[in-house]
Amino acid sequence: MDKETYLKPLFKGNPITVLVLGICSSLAVTVQLKGALVMALSVTLVTAFSSLFISLLRNTIPNRVRIIVQLVVVAMFVILIDQALKAFSYDTSKMLSVYIGLIITNCIIMGRIEAFALGNKPWPSFVDGAFNGLGYGMILVIVAFFRELFGSGTLLGFQVIPESWYIENGGWYANNGLMILPPMALILLGCVVWVHRAIDKELQEQ
Amino acid sequence: MNTNSNIYTIIYTTILVVIVAAILAIVATALKPRQRANVELEQMKSIMLSANIGETNGQPDKKADYKKLYQQHIVNTYVIDGNGNKVDGVDAFSVDLKSQYEAIKNGGNLTLPVYECKADDGSTLTILPCYGAGLWGAIWGYISVEPDGETIRGALFSHASETPGLGGEIAEPWFYNQFDGKKLEDASGAFSSVKIVKGGAGSNQNGVDAISGATITSRSLQNTIEQWMNYYKQILGE
Amino acid sequence: MDYINIFIKSIFVENMVFSFFLGMCSYLAVSKNVKTATGLGLAVIFVLGITLPLNYVLYEYVLKAGALSWLSPNLANVDLSFLSYIVYIAMIATFVQIVEMFVEKFSPGLYSSLGIFLPLIAVNCAILGGSLFMQERGYSNVGEAFTFGLGSGIGWFLAIVAMAAIREKLAYSNVPKPLKGLGLAFIITGLMGIAFMSFMGFQL
Repeated sequence: MDKETYLKPLFKGNPITVLVLGICSSLAVTVQLKGALVMALSVTLVTAFSSLFISLLRNTIPNRVRIIVQLVVVAMFVILIDQALKAFSYDTSKMLSVYIGLIITNCIIMGRIEAFALGNKPWPSFVDGAFNGLGYGMILVIVAFFRELFGSGTLLGFQVIPESWYIENGGWYANNGLMILPPMALILLGCVVWVHRAIDKELQEQ
Repeated sequence: MNTNSNIYTIIYTTILVVIVAAILAIVATALKPRQRANVELEQMKSIMLSANIGETNGQPDKKADYKKLYQQHIVNTYVIDGNGNKVDGVDAFSVDLKSQYEAIKNGGNLTLPVYECKADDGSTLTILPCYGAGLWGAIWGYISVEPDGETIRGALFSHASETPGLGGEIAEPWFYNQFDGKKLEDASGAFSSVKIVKGGAGSNQNGVDAISGATITSRSLQNTIEQWMNYYKQILGE
Repeated sequence: MDYINIFIKSIFVENMVFSFFLGMCSYLAVSKNVKTATGLGLAVIFVLGITLPLNYVLYEYVLKAGALSWLSPNLANVDLSFLSYIVYIAMIATFVQIVEMFVEKFSPGLYSSLGIFLPLIAVNCAILGGSLFMQERGYSNVGEAFTFGLGSGIGWFLAIVAMAAIREKLAYSNVPKPLKGLGLAFIITGLMGIAFMSFMGFQL
């Protein structure tokens, strides 16, 4: 296992900006940085452990019911996380509501299981899963950072933009309401892809 | 071994499902008390905050023990039916507001919870819950009313899945603190719910500012409060 | 709530793609031309329309707290709702697999045009999302659940076909190189989402 295993999922093979996986459930949770961080962590845990688990079982799974077996394993980890959040971090659980459940169908997880864990030993699968989760989380956090900063003027709930700048207080600044709306997540994501591909020209589509 | 045979497939999936279900059942049962405690604590906290207890300058106290506060301040709870009569034998705290909302909508027997709260200044507040549908999911809240039966001491609202930053703002202190001191009657003195007005309620005695960009959530909240207060006005001292 | 209300709402106001970003992976991957987009769109309508009422019945009569009381009053305290995710997804995956086998056997023509999309659907978040929203919103009968499923499916279909049509045209336009393809697809979806937000003012 070389450095590629770690670095590829973060940049050249980033699940969101390059492989186009796992966009579904998560963009709605990027309004605030906190939600994005919890989501990133949850997805990383689920990807890593389900990759590990499936890799351990890889030689025994009947091919015909492969997808169902994978989904059951993934769903188990997701429910564990959901239950744990409900018990130990009720506020976050309320904030993420159905989106925790939707991790099950996050294509990154199934994608990595199909593409990597089914054909590799447990430890590399675990690492591959974890770093894909991180690569995904990284994009989530970048998008959430800009949305929270410009949309609410806060970061992780703390006021970052000085109160005196606001128009209400005699200043010149106003929060950008557009940032809070769901479609803005996609537009920002488009910009992230733009920047990423401007730097790494190999990734450009013909 | 032939991993593609029917028997193998069936046995394999059965075993897998049994193991997974067992793990989940154990975890769910183990965590259940904690989860229930969280939900109850949340409810107590909402009730206390609606009476402005456990708040400093309108913001919830991070360190306050809301369970203790609840036990100290709530002196009496009961439920009423649709005509304002007390119903015996129902625990107000465990009434499921959602089922009441459905009963209001579809007709049915109502058991609407009422909490009586002894505030620090000695007055007895009546705390009334409400529950309704917002833009995406449920919205609910509590309103505490002064002994005069028309002045609002405080309020608190919460939501299941409103857009953060827009409809979700109903759960923020700046929004629900606006209700403090408003009246449940209009300028002519007739009973009226609180109106959530767009663009500056000003000094209107029963109006608060709507959230800009969240017209539907604001309107739903107003309708929800109105719907529930119509039942509760029967027990408020008029 | 009446059926027309739910139907219109789930197509336009609460569009799976534009309001919730559900089913984005296959949405972006398969929206390169109108023909395949139509195939996948139809498959989604079909699967959503069937699995939603099925999951509704499962939730109401098996999973919900106290739902098992129809079996015997002793079971009234059983709460299996922690199993809901796993039951829904197993239901969806099984259904998709059965349909796949069925179509393969009886209609090879349909299989070659639709079949490749079916495995994709099991992991399409819009399908599971539909079931989860159904549970959260508490529809009052199977008919409402079916209407919601059908409407959401049609909404998804509309979104992907519209997107495919736009992307077909885009192939001939001059776009900054790093933005070409995926980047622009994201931005266009975002803009379409903003356009769809105008439906939110509807009072139904």
